[in-house]
Amino acid sequence: MSTRAIFGALAGLLLLSPGAWAGVELVSLPERESVQLTIYNSADLTLVRELRKLTLRKGVNRLSFGWANTVIDPTSLNLRALERPDAVQLLDVAYPPRINTQGIWTVQSQLEGEVPVEITFFTSGITWRAFYVATLASDERSMHLQGYVRVTNNSGEDYENARTRLVVGKIHLLDQIAELARRPAPYGMPVGAGVKPAAEEKRVLMRKAEAALEAAAAPQAPTRPKEIIKEGLSEYFLYTIEGTETISNSWSKRLPSLEVAEVPVVNLYKFEEERYGKEVVRFLLFANDTQHKLGDTPLPDGLVKVFRKVDREGHLSYEGADNTKYIPVGQKVELNLGSAPKVKVEPKLMKTRTENFSFNKDRNIDGWEEVQDWKVEVRNNREVAARVEVKRNFRHQHWELKLGGEEHGKLEKEDLDTISFTMELKPHQRREFSYTVRFFEGERRNRK
Amino acid sequence: MRKAATGALAMGLILIVGTAAQARIKLVALPQREATLLRLDNPAFTLVEEERLLTLQKGTNQVDFSWKGVNIDPDSIRLQILDHPQEVRLISVSYPPNEAALVWQIYSPQPFNERVRVSYLLSNIDRLVTYEGLVPTDESSMELKSYLVLRNFSGEDFPEAKVQLDYGESFEKSIQHQETKRMLFFSKAKLPVEKTFTWDDRREPWDPEKMDRNVGIPVFYTLYNTQEKGLGENALWGGKVRVFQEDGRGSTIFLGEDKVELVPVGEKLSLYIGESRDIVVTQRKMKEERKIKERNSSGQPILWDTEEILEVKVENFKDKPALLILTEHIPGQWDMASCTHKYELKDFETLEFRIDLKPKEKVNLTMHYHRRNLR
Repeated sequence: MSTRAIFGALAGLLLLSPGAWAGVELVSLPERESVQLTIYNSADLTLVRELRKLTLRKGVNRLSFGWANTVIDPTSLNLRALERPDAVQLLDVAYPPRINTQGIWTVQSQLEGEVPVEITFFTSGITWRAFYVATLASDERSMHLQGYVRVTNNSGEDYENARTRLVVGKIHLLDQIAELARRPAPYGMPVGAGVKPAAEEKRVLMRKAEAALEAAAAPQAPTRPKEIIKEGLSEYFLYTIEGTETISNSWSKRLPSLEVAEVPVVNLYKFEEERYGKEVVRFLLFANDTQHKLGDTPLPDGLVKVFRKVDREGHLSYEGADNTKYIPVGQKVELNLGSAPKVKVEPKLMKTRTENFSFNKDRNIDGWEEVQDWKVEVRNNREVAARVEVKRNFRHQHWELKLGGEEHGKLEKEDLDTISFTMELKPHQRREFSYTVRFFEGERRNRK
Repeated sequence: MRKAATGALAMGLILIVGTAAQARIKLVALPQREATLLRLDNPAFTLVEEERLLTLQKGTNQVDFSWKGVNIDPDSIRLQILDHPQEVRLISVSYPPNEAALVWQIYSPQPFNERVRVSYLLSNIDRLVTYEGLVPTDESSMELKSYLVLRNFSGEDFPEAKVQLDYGESFEKSIQHQETKRMLFFSKAKLPVEKTFTWDDRREPWDPEKMDRNVGIPVFYTLYNTQEKGLGENALWGGKVRVFQEDGRGSTIFLGEDKVELVPVGEKLSLYIGESRDIVVTQRKMKEERKIKERNSSGQPILWDTEEILEVKVENFKDKPALLILTEHIPGQWDMASCTHKYELKDFETLEFRIDLKPKEKVNLTMHYHRRNLR
C-alpha cells in the first residue's frame, strides 16, 4: 500500500513521455526495505531516508522515482550508493517535462547486480507537537509531570515500520516544503517563462479504510510503552522513538516522552497593574534542572495542562493551562495558570503632595517634586502557602524610594523604572506594607 | 531537428536562392544543426552558439533564419563564417515584416560548403546552483557539494548540447524543453567551519522572557573562499545551501538552509542555519540621566550630556562552549566611562563584543557611558 502512492504514476508516465524518453529503458525502483523519518516541529518538514536494493546493470542505468499524490520537495531528492560509492556514480537527475512528480536518475555503474542505495527527500505533511500533563499534590508543593509527543501524518503517504525521530529546535527555512512540492517545475522557471501547468492528473487514490486499520493494528501487542532516546545535535534536540512506528496517512499517534514524580514547585502570585490589570495572576515555578528532578534534556514547547489532586481518592480538579516556550536545561519555568481571585493585592495611594518648586527667570514654575505615600495590602485567602510578587512600574527613572517597616519582603530593582517586592504568605495570612516614592519633575531632575 | 510534442517551436535555417525582389519563396535546403554550445556564464542571459553547414552558390546568397515559439533577441543574432572567412562575406542583414526572422545576404566568390556559427541570446533557459553541506557531529568542518541545475523553458529542445559555464571544461548534456536537470558540480571535503551565535540590540528583543513567542538567537556557519581554507579556486555562485549534520549513527539530520550571494575568491561565506534557544541574552537599561550643560535666556536646556548604564546578561544553557558575537549601538557622540568587556568599534555607533562562553556559563556585561552634546 505504501508503494501505491509513490509508484502509481509510473505506468502512465511512460506513455505520456515524448521523444527522447520513449527510447529509454526505465527501471522503476523496488519497494523500500526500511525507512527513517526525521520530523521537525518548527517547520512543516520531514526528512525521509529510505533504503532500497537496486538491481543495476554495468553501464548507464536510468531509474525513475515518482511521487504522485504526495507533497515531496523535488529539489531535495537525493540518491546515494551505500556500498562502493566509487563504483556507482550518479550522473544527473532529470525532471522530465510536464510531469512534476517524477525524477529520473542516470546512474553509471561498474557493478552488476543488487546494490543497496539510500534515497533521501523532504516531505511536508508530517508534524509533531509536544504537550504535558502536570498533576499537583494537594499541598501544591510538588507535581507529577508527564510529557507526550503526538505525531500526525497528512503527507499522503503511509509510512510502515518507520524509525521515527523528532527534532526540537528552530531551523532557518527559505521556502515552505509544501510550496516547493506544488511548483509546476521543480526549481521554478526562469523569469518570464510561462508554461501551462501539466494537465491535472486524474487519479483516484484507492485506499481502503480496512487497509489503514490493518496497518494501525500492531502485529504483536507490546508489553510496555516505547522509550524515547534523547540527544543533542548542533542547536537541536533529537528524540528517537524506540523501534519502529507505523504511521498511516491521516492518522496520529501519541507517545509518552517524559514522566517525573514529585517535581518541587512554587506557586508565585504576581501583581503588576500595567501587565495583568487589577487581578493577581498565578504562576507555577520550577526549573529544568536536577534539583527539580529534571534537566536531562531541554523541554520542547507545548501546552501544559495543570490538574490538582483534591482528595485521597485521587479526584482531580483542573487548575489551568499554559503554553510553555522551549525550556533549555537549567532554565527556570513560569507557567501562567491565569487569574487567582483568592489572592488579593491592593495598592492604595494614601497621601500625595508637591514641594520644592523651582522657577525660571520669568518666574514660571519649571520644576517640582511629587511625593506619594502608598499602602499595599496583600491577602492570601487560600488554604495553601503563597509567594507573592508585587511589581511597581514608575512613571520615569527620576525617583527616590523610602520604605516603611520590614513587611515589604525582598526588594529588587529590575531596571531603571521598575521595582518588585516578593514575600511569603501563610494560608489565610494578611499583610500590609508601605512605601514613599518621590518623583523629580521638570528642572528638579537636573538639580537634584 | 526534432519537433517536440507541443509543436510550439520551429527554428531553422532556410536557404533562399535568388534576389530580394522575389517573393519570399523559401527553398527548403534545411541545413543540419551541428555542434551546439550553451554558454551559461552570464547568470542573466544564455548565449546559444550553433554550427551549420551552408551550401553557398557563387554570387549572392540569401539565408533565412526564422524562429517560432522561442524568445530570441533579434539584435543579438550573429553569424560567423568559419571555413573561408577571408572570401565569404556577410553583406547585409534584413528583417522581414511581421515575422520572427531575419535574412542574411552572403557573398561567396565560388561555390562552397561553408560552415557557419550562428549565435544568439535565448530567453528562458538558464542555470542555478545549489549547495549541500554536511558537518560532522562536532561541527568543526564541512563537506560542501555544489550542484548545477539546468532549466530549459525556452521552447527549444537541445538533444546534444555542450554546456559551458564561466570556468572549467564544457560538458555534454541533453536537455529538452520544459526539462530540469541537476548534476554534481563540485565536492569539497573537510572545509574548516566557524560556528557563531549572534545577538544585535537593534534586531533581537531585549527581554526574551517578556515575549510570548520563543526567542532564539541566530546561529551562523562561516566558511572562507580561500585556498588555505580549502576553497579559493573560483568564485562561488549564489544559490540555496542546505546543511545537514551527521548524527553519529550513520544517519543525518537537516540543520537548516540559507541563500548565499556570489562569493568571490578571498571572501567569506556566512550561512544562517537556524536559531539557538539555549543561549539567552537579556539586556536592561539601569540608568539614563541628563546633565544639562547650557541653557537659553529663558532657562530652557539647550545642550546636555547623558549618563547611561546598560546591563547585558548572557546565559549559556548548553553543555558546550559557544562564541557569541554581541552587537551594541550607541548613536551619535559618546565616550565609554567603563566597560567590563573588550569590544571592537565597527563604526562610530556599532560596538562588537566577541564573548567566549564556557559550557553552562553566565556572563554579565556592563557598559557605563556618556552621550555628549545632545540638543
